[in-house]
Amino acid sequence: MTRNEKKQFRAGIGFTSLWIVGLAAFTAYPILASLYYSFCDYSILKSPVWIGLENYQQLAQDGLFWKSLRNTLFYAGLSVPLGTVVALGLAVLLNSEVRGKSAYRLLFFMPSIVPIVASSMLWLWIFNGQYGLMNGFLNLFLTPFGLHGPAWLADPAWSKPALVIMSLWGTGNAVVIYLAGLQNVPTELYEAAEIDGASAWQRFVHVTLPSIAPVVAFNGIMALISAMQLFAQAYIMSEGANGNGNASDGNPARSTLFYTIYLFSTAFQDLRMGYASAMAYILFLITAALTWAAARFSRGQYEDAV
Amino acid sequence: MRPKTQFSRAVVTALLLLFSAAFAVPFVWLLSTSLKPIEQTLSLPITFLPRAHYADLDGRRMEVTLDFQVTQAGAVVRLLSGDDAGKLGFMGAAQLAQHADSAVVVHPVAAGSWHVTQRLDRATGEGGPSPLWDVLPRDRIDTHIKFRWENYPRALAALGGDAESDRHRVGFWTFLANSLTVAVLGVIGTVISNAIIAYGFARLRWKGRDAFFALTLATMMVPFPVLMVPLYGVFKAFGLIGTLLPLWLPTWFGSAFNIFLMRQFFRTIPEELSEAARIDGCSEWRIFWRIIIPLSTPVLVVAALFHFIFAWYDFLGPLLYLTRKDTYTLAIALQSYESQNGGVQWHYLMAASAVTILPVIILFLFGQKSFIRGIATTGSKG
Amino acid sequence: MHPAAAAEPVHVVYWEKWVGVEGQAAQAVIDTFNRSQDRIIVDYYATSVPDRKTLVATAGGDPPDIAGLHEQNIATFADAEVLQPLDDFIHREGLTNEEWLSRYYPVYAKICTHGGHIYAGISTPAVEALYWNKTLFREAGLDPDRPPRTLAEFNDYARRLTRHDPKTGRLTQVGFLPQDPGWWPWIFCDWFGGRLVEGNRITFATDPHNVAAYAWMQSFTKEYGLENVKALSSEFGPWASPAAPFFTGKIAMVFQGVWYDNYIRQYKPGLDYGVGPWPENVPGVKDFAMAEADVLTIPRGAKHASEAWEFIKYLNSANPNAQSREELQGAELMDFLQLKNSPLRVWSPYFTNHNPHPHIAMMRLLSASPNATCVPQIGIWQEYYREVISSFDRVRLMDATPEEALAYSQARLDASWTRYRKSLERHGQWAALGETAP
Repeated sequence: MTRNEKKQFRAGIGFTSLWIVGLAAFTAYPILASLYYSFCDYSILKSPVWIGLENYQQLAQDGLFWKSLRNTLFYAGLSVPLGTVVALGLAVLLNSEVRGKSAYRLLFFMPSIVPIVASSMLWLWIFNGQYGLMNGFLNLFLTPFGLHGPAWLADPAWSKPALVIMSLWGTGNAVVIYLAGLQNVPTELYEAAEIDGASAWQRFVHVTLPSIAPVVAFNGIMALISAMQLFAQAYIMSEGANGNGNASDGNPARSTLFYTIYLFSTAFQDLRMGYASAMAYILFLITAALTWAAARFSRGQYEDAV
Repeated sequence: MRPKTQFSRAVVTALLLLFSAAFAVPFVWLLSTSLKPIEQTLSLPITFLPRAHYADLDGRRMEVTLDFQVTQAGAVVRLLSGDDAGKLGFMGAAQLAQHADSAVVVHPVAAGSWHVTQRLDRATGEGGPSPLWDVLPRDRIDTHIKFRWENYPRALAALGGDAESDRHRVGFWTFLANSLTVAVLGVIGTVISNAIIAYGFARLRWKGRDAFFALTLATMMVPFPVLMVPLYGVFKAFGLIGTLLPLWLPTWFGSAFNIFLMRQFFRTIPEELSEAARIDGCSEWRIFWRIIIPLSTPVLVVAALFHFIFAWYDFLGPLLYLTRKDTYTLAIALQSYESQNGGVQWHYLMAASAVTILPVIILFLFGQKSFIRGIATTGSKG
Repeated sequence: MHPAAAAEPVHVVYWEKWVGVEGQAAQAVIDTFNRSQDRIIVDYYATSVPDRKTLVATAGGDPPDIAGLHEQNIATFADAEVLQPLDDFIHREGLTNEEWLSRYYPVYAKICTHGGHIYAGISTPAVEALYWNKTLFREAGLDPDRPPRTLAEFNDYARRLTRHDPKTGRLTQVGFLPQDPGWWPWIFCDWFGGRLVEGNRITFATDPHNVAAYAWMQSFTKEYGLENVKALSSEFGPWASPAAPFFTGKIAMVFQGVWYDNYIRQYKPGLDYGVGPWPENVPGVKDFAMAEADVLTIPRGAKHASEAWEFIKYLNSANPNAQSREELQGAELMDFLQLKNSPLRVWSPYFTNHNPHPHIAMMRLLSASPNATCVPQIGIWQEYYREVISSFDRVRLMDATPEEALAYSQARLDASWTRYRKSLERHGQWAALGETAP
């Protein structure tokens, strides 16, 4: 390293030193320990016994592992792009000059601050096959054709789409982040584009998007990571809609058995922490690969994204 | 972006109104449930307005609950035999004909009448006289809209546990103080530590930076359930179990999510600003403090708001690390309305939730200020 | 052992799930215990999901002295060495395990035992009975005081209590649906005379009675039509809410626990209902019933295990001569305040005669029954239970025949059981456990 490089290195380590301490103190041990457990027969209390790749081999033959992976990819594949479009759209709308902006912003953020036990009961009603708001709306269009909206959360074919729709209500967080990002877009760029006669859509594509590319990348990657680890909403809705006291199996008929739900019941109901750890590291690899691909893609589109 | 025409302005407003109405529903429902009596909560089809029903039972006007509609004509009878001899009962017409000798008709009932019961105001099912009831046509039942504001003080009182003998009895204010401690200390730590760390990742070029950042991102990709047990061991080793410290201390040492968030925002600030300052001989610390921080208020507010909300509603952390009731946070205390086998005092839960939400709304409205300046004034940044 | 007993009382940390009314009842019992002697003070800490919290804390070397768990945790937690056996404490009382267990009705004695050891005391018991809506019985022309006595009668009543909307043909009311509450499909296997575990083998699909039970559960969907059932179930609110189908008259008969009366009083005080025994299914098996319990356990590494045992002993005893509310002790005081039955064979005069539970006699009859049954104590029960539910979902949604659904689950469970045994062997536990498998 040259002198300048050394100086830069020292500055970099200096600024990130808090995180180095935090990582070492609170994060490194749990992550390394669980990696070790993934090669062990480990039931939490008894001392772990090294079994090599046995957990991973069993996973390959575990039908529920594959089912939960499929369910999760289905959910992530729909909810991440849809959520991005809805959140970005709302943020752009909210950033335009309309009356009562602050009230709208609060309202869009409301679903994120209503406790989930409370909102889940509401969702049960919205998706109720008979009296629900969703079918009340859909049936306006379906009834003339002699059709009727599905039972949503109680129907294995529709429970995942219902959760995707529900996830759109939680986009308030992303909207707030996009709004903060839109603050940093210089007005001059819009003015210049207007002088060039660019339409609203062209201004959005050529001015807004490139300026906030890092923010879009952030929201997209975080949405992906949390979709892959979907847990709380699915857990609570499954229990509420099917009411058989065993939400940990993604009812009805395991249609909402998502990866982390299966992992969780393996870890804390069956006390197979080694197996659960192996699952965790498979998910880690999949998420990392997807993130890497997304970062590559966005870097191809926008220089500075990730 | 500025909507140009009247028409596009109207479209934008209409879209916003539509979406915001949909997004407001959970909150409206929460408020409405918090003002209902328990037997009207979770009713299907859903109702938003809390009601009170009144009828004459036994010659007295009283508040009643609507139980169900009888589907066929029949009569309220006094039973003469069986386990319920002496009691009143309802019999369908067919059955009445069969058992005419075992019952005396009190009054006939038309199909579609409502079974109503005297509303006894008691929180639990224990004790008390058995309530009066009758089967009446709908037009003999008066219905008014009635908001039960008394749910609020009752819910907050029930939060701490009602038993006089409870040695550990602590109330709403203790939980609030604990929640505030965890949230406020966590917010301060989050904003300060992550801003500094993110600067190191976003604005400095150094060997190993990108690999270290990739590692930071990677830590978010391991699902939490498998980290829970070893993490507990870590806090145990530091002697922090049973205190509020595990809930806020780590925030002072950065978190992957916030590092990533702030890094992305710092990168949208033009590099020329830093370069100019470096040429003027400014230290990195000074550039961070004097240039980057003032231009980053929105993201700092976002990080603060998000951490506050996370800490405010965090359930798993307090569940694992707290043991005594006097250290419980509000999110944990809200479980008080759940009883065995899943019965929930919905009206109380919603009332306490509404109170819990209030500080978040206030914080959000304050935080809004950093957004309100809008595009026009930030233009000068470029 | 405690020379300084009078000086410094020992604080016993007790984690339990109850809050609200049940929590207050527990606190009242604990206060009585604390006042009854000056050596031990039990500190009650209410917490959600105490099983997971106990697990994590025990692994971290910081367990409570007493953990309140569910009976279905016992086998798994015991095999995982989370819990310590109570045998030594019992022997120190001068009792054998059998002598200690003789205080309970047989089904509760079974709940406390796993692999030949006693791991738990009962904190509160429960027992499930048949609840029926007398108003709907009268409407259907049935005797409201006479519940069905055999399976054939039960099925017949269920048909007669089912109504369709005359105009649209839609289902408006059913006599019975196995998915309400749907928590225990496995109990129907027992009710049909099936076994879930036989010796060291899983017999979910291999016991024809289990297949018959699942076929019976599916018969309700078949008879009413899947779409009709879906439409009707959309009108069901959560089971403990005013919109619960039994409370709104959409279901006429339901199997529910001893706690149900309390919820009826709370959510639907005007409901006219009866409580009775399960109909006879296997000829000769009278008063079949299902029992459950919340249990008290001592985690390994507990700092005050022998003091914890003193409290467990207190809560699993009673004053057999109690003549007044003040004289109630231990189990009876807890069950009196929580409106439950007592798991003990001997009931005091006051508990028997002044019990606030309106159907306590029926609950006692069922919990005392030699034909009462409970979950099998097997280490993979949680996984087994998920298969039970999943198979139930598949048959009731007409996604599989009972044979197919059970065969699929059997294959999974066989593999799990093999793996589980291998793990126990690895840790040197199988030899002791294998002999005493359920």
